[in-house]
Amino acid sequence: MRFVVAVKQVPDTTLIKVDADGNLIRGGVPSILDPYSEHAMEAAVHLKGDGDTITAVTMGPEQASSALLRCLEIGVDEAFLLSDMDFAGADVHATCRTLKAFLDRFVPDASLIILGKQASDGDTGQVPAELAGMMDRQQFCYSVKITREGSSFIVTQDYGDEIRTSAAPEGSVISVSECDANRRLPSIRRFIDVSSVRIKKLGREDLMLGTFSCGARGSRTKIIGTDTVRSERSGRVTDGSDPAAAANFIRGLL
Amino acid sequence: MLERYRLSVDRSDGFLVWIEIVDDGDGKRISDCSKEILGKVMSMNDGSRVWGVVFGFTELKPLYGEIFSYGVETLYEVHGKEMSVYRPEVYASALAQIIIRTEPAVVLMGATPRGRELAPRTAAILDAGLTADCTDLKMSDRILSMVRPAFGGNLLATIQCTAFPQMATVRPGVFPMPEPEGDGKGTVIYWQEDICNPKDILSSERLDTAADDISSAKILVSLGAGVKRSSIAVAESVARKLGGSVSCSRRLVEKGWMPQSRQVGQSGKNVAPDVYLAFGISGSVQHLAGISSAKRIISINTDPNARIGEVADEIVIGDADSILEELDRIL
Repeated sequence: MRFVVAVKQVPDTTLIKVDADGNLIRGGVPSILDPYSEHAMEAAVHLKGDGDTITAVTMGPEQASSALLRCLEIGVDEAFLLSDMDFAGADVHATCRTLKAFLDRFVPDASLIILGKQASDGDTGQVPAELAGMMDRQQFCYSVKITREGSSFIVTQDYGDEIRTSAAPEGSVISVSECDANRRLPSIRRFIDVSSVRIKKLGREDLMLGTFSCGARGSRTKIIGTDTVRSERSGRVTDGSDPAAAANFIRGLL
Repeated sequence: MLERYRLSVDRSDGFLVWIEIVDDGDGKRISDCSKEILGKVMSMNDGSRVWGVVFGFTELKPLYGEIFSYGVETLYEVHGKEMSVYRPEVYASALAQIIIRTEPAVVLMGATPRGRELAPRTAAILDAGLTADCTDLKMSDRILSMVRPAFGGNLLATIQCTAFPQMATVRPGVFPMPEPEGDGKGTVIYWQEDICNPKDILSSERLDTAADDISSAKILVSLGAGVKRSSIAVAESVARKLGGSVSCSRRLVEKGWMPQSRQVGQSGKNVAPDVYLAFGISGSVQHLAGISSAKRIISINTDPNARIGEVADEIVIGDADSILEELDRIL
């Protein structure tokens, strides 16, 4: 079997600082493999049997290869970086077009396509379902458990108000939730000699994509403006060293 | 060129809303988020048509009057026994066909777990643009501006689609619940959808989440790493007296003190209560993103420099545990 894990590189949000105007200070913040991508990786490693391969893919600038190195440490067999100036500014639609082009061309026989439920920076969580829709595959979002059953899979999904277990045929698209906050992130299963690893880099022409099918020009949404959140909140500070008085004060606010 | 967009730019007009039906044990009802969306559509609609789409069977009949009272003129019911079971593949395919038929300018769904799974799949079929988890919508001459928090809630991005239909999912709780209007009458169109190759669902267990659902609570008593374990019971008592629920920060879930269903923040739930009482919560970027839609935030913390102070309306500097206990006593 061949598992594909689509991962994302994100700034380490736990280290992000905010300046006096409420803007993010992004410079100097290291990038990491997104925590949800780590869970997706872990699910793939867990499913892998003898003779199976895991392929990791990510789309991003050159430095996104650090996320792929982390995947190689966790246990993928090959890694692809989709990187091209023409991919810049992609929204969900353009991202999915690019991923689909890669999958159709380089891994048409994928047994499962596994992604994180969302990324911790963009937080839109739309890529798995949109990719499944474009590829006309069955989708299983918010999965908390995946097991093998012959040539197909049994997937348990958590919809918040429903726990659903379904049979997933080969080729399904699965997004993985974080099922246990206490679960440790996957450890390094092998040490990689970085010089020996070749991350295969693919550009727009390798994927046979036109310029209007990817990046900002292939996007179906555009950001027309951003506002820093200027809180109009009073931010009134009250001394609460006397609990009884503080409790009375809070009751008065309700 | 316009072929690509499936819908006609000249004709596309009006709003189409997927009306999510939930079953919380007492029978089927319209989800709160769908009602909020219909209310928002009523307030920004300037004479355009409003379509609703529901999936189900005869059990939906008692809901028609209510749906029409929230401004829906024409209701497409994707009709069939099997349609009561949510299957994103079938739902998206039917929705896309109805959208091609009706040519709405705007398609809206709730940013609920199912909505956020269904909307992208529908958008994929239509080659449409989609904005997730919007907290505000503005309409101007058929063009929809969608506002959503970005980068952990520090920025509000305004986004427009470059093609019709313009699709968005809307965060639950950000728009007010509408009052029913009119005579509750409208047209119902039954839509037949073939289910070929359906998803093979082996088992389904419904969780009773009504008591636990922090995303719809009007008052939240929220606990962070700055409180003792014994305060959880006190907080539950306070929440009961105020008619609210107890939520928490990620740290308490990590400690195993609280279930993940109560976690507020980016890896937990986004909440939009009228009052958010934050006891001993320092306020990570991820946590603040989850409470950006709260109407009022009251922080109780010993640390005057806690980051939650940047968003709080009222900051009480004091011991969270003893103030919580006192509050329980006087309520």
